[in-house]
Amino acid sequence: MSGTDGNFLITARGVTKIYRTGQIEAPALRGVDLEVKSGEFISIVGPSGSGKTTLLNLIGALDSLTGGELKVLGKDVSGLSRRERAELRLHHLGFVFQAYNLIPVLTARENVEFVLELQGVGRERSARAEEVLGELGLSEFSDRRPLEMSGGQQQRVAVARAVASRPRLVLADEPTANLDGENAEVLLRLMRRLRDEQGMTFVFSTHDSRVVEHAERIITLTDGRVSQDERRNPDRG
Amino acid sequence: MTGRMIIKYAFRSQTRRFRRTILSVVGVGVGCAMGIIATCWIGGEQEMTVRAASESGAGHLKIVPAGWLETRENTLRISEWKRTLALARSLPGVKRVAFRARTDGLLAFGNRTSGVEVTGVDPDSERAFNRIVYKSKIQGRYLEPGDAGQAVIGRELARRLKVGLDDDLMITLSGKGEIESAMLRIVGILDTGSQELDLSVCHITLTELERMTGISGPAEISILLDNYKRIDSTREVLARELSGRNRVITWKEVAPELAAGMEGDMAFARLLVLIIIAVVGLGIMSAQLTAVMERRREFGILSALGMPGRRIVGMILTEAFLIGLGGALVALAVSFPITYRLASRGVNLSALMGGLNSFGGVLIDPVAYGDLGWWVVWYAFGVSLAATVLASLYPARLAQKIDPAEALRRI
Repeated sequence: MSGTDGNFLITARGVTKIYRTGQIEAPALRGVDLEVKSGEFISIVGPSGSGKTTLLNLIGALDSLTGGELKVLGKDVSGLSRRERAELRLHHLGFVFQAYNLIPVLTARENVEFVLELQGVGRERSARAEEVLGELGLSEFSDRRPLEMSGGQQQRVAVARAVASRPRLVLADEPTANLDGENAEVLLRLMRRLRDEQGMTFVFSTHDSRVVEHAERIITLTDGRVSQDERRNPDRG
Repeated sequence: MTGRMIIKYAFRSQTRRFRRTILSVVGVGVGCAMGIIATCWIGGEQEMTVRAASESGAGHLKIVPAGWLETRENTLRISEWKRTLALARSLPGVKRVAFRARTDGLLAFGNRTSGVEVTGVDPDSERAFNRIVYKSKIQGRYLEPGDAGQAVIGRELARRLKVGLDDDLMITLSGKGEIESAMLRIVGILDTGSQELDLSVCHITLTELERMTGISGPAEISILLDNYKRIDSTREVLARELSGRNRVITWKEVAPELAAGMEGDMAFARLLVLIIIAVVGLGIMSAQLTAVMERRREFGILSALGMPGRRIVGMILTEAFLIGLGGALVALAVSFPITYRLASRGVNLSALMGGLNSFGGVLIDPVAYGDLGWWVVWYAFGVSLAATVLASLYPARLAQKIDPAEALRRI
């Protein structure tokens, strides 16, 4: 899949999302307009309940929107079947979750290999997993299971899993929430390097000012709407 | 196709919940073992019944004149009986063959009389074929070829007539159109252990019966096979070779009440096995459902990573397959000592039979043996795997439907 809407990897027009519980309706997004180009390094910020995770879930084809139009890699996600959404996630998107969410019974290398196997990568998947783990400084931990690693190491494995197949878009929900300052810094530098070297696009949702400092574009959500969209040129990386 | 990593994942997921996995494996194994033991016992009982019926004279197969089955008419005789007898003996898998004729008669001694079915036998083949002869205690001797005017009767019949060895009985029977009478000397008294059978035994040679009735030839040729499971195939072969004036029937047609009883027992036992499997399956389904609910977030993450629903189903079924494999091994381990004991030493049921060792003219062996063979292995793996995999389909389907976004919101 190489299609994009013009030059944009993500295009959102008036995207709304309303959660319904019985008679109660809780609007999470109230009309989000957004365009993201390939290779951007974006932080989505905002207070709790502003809709950051909801927006990431919609972009990641994990959830379905209530209204508006959302195109990811040129595909209208609201028109995709369950199977097509899974296909999109598997082959074109990478996810980094706040709570790492590694498979506890598999080692670091196997966690990375697992997704590669799902993608149909053949014999070279083990070598590729080792290579990515090596790039992230995790070679000596590749045979350890998640519970035998620190939070920082687990989150780096989660990043390795997300980027091993070189997806065009990586979505990260609060990726540094459980990391200390040093580990958060290592992780963010690493992601920027991946963006620089492999042209991946990163979109984070975060409360963390450390992440914001690394971002080249900061989108602020307030009450389910984009209240600010700021581009900047951080000196780091 | 399930990949190497998914198999590894499924295996380790089971070891992670070790206690539950062990309980599931033991549950499947014990349930399956119960099914094996029940089937072993039922199979043995079935074999015992078939053997008892066939060795008590009916044979696994019996060649009779056309029309006999419908009329049970004793005057009918086998057409071209010598050729037919040779044909029966030449068939592959035939162990023994005996031939006979029967007629209704009245035995009298002094002022005492008793109605009886007189059987004209070939002494040599009858002695080797009929368990009523070779398994019974005999006072005196059994018939020999060439015996004329001599008879062997059952102990109860002798008691009622108050006769003993070397006494002469008067026999009256219907011959070819008229009533015939003759004297028979008792050379042997059979004690089968069954009052019912002992009251019905009156054997004379076939030659003697032919002479008394004036009707020549046997009315039945009974065939014992090496393996009772080949009854139907041998019957087909025989039926093709026989002339239209003879017919081949099975022991079930000779002793329909016994066959019906056996079929009833089999149906009940199969139902019992199905109930056991259903209970085991429900237990597995419950355990798998609990596991899926507990791992809701995990399946949500897999789905979020792009794992297709069918592969999530495949992974859960792989986990079920592993439980089934373990269950089959447990089933074999639990059932083997019992089935081996049943098959090698059997169970003596004489106390339960209350002195009754015959049914419907069949001498039943009081020691019942189980049926043990390679089928046990196929059964263990087949039932165990089928039960666990089928019982896991619904939980797997639920796991497939887990909404990743909703599952990820649950921390």
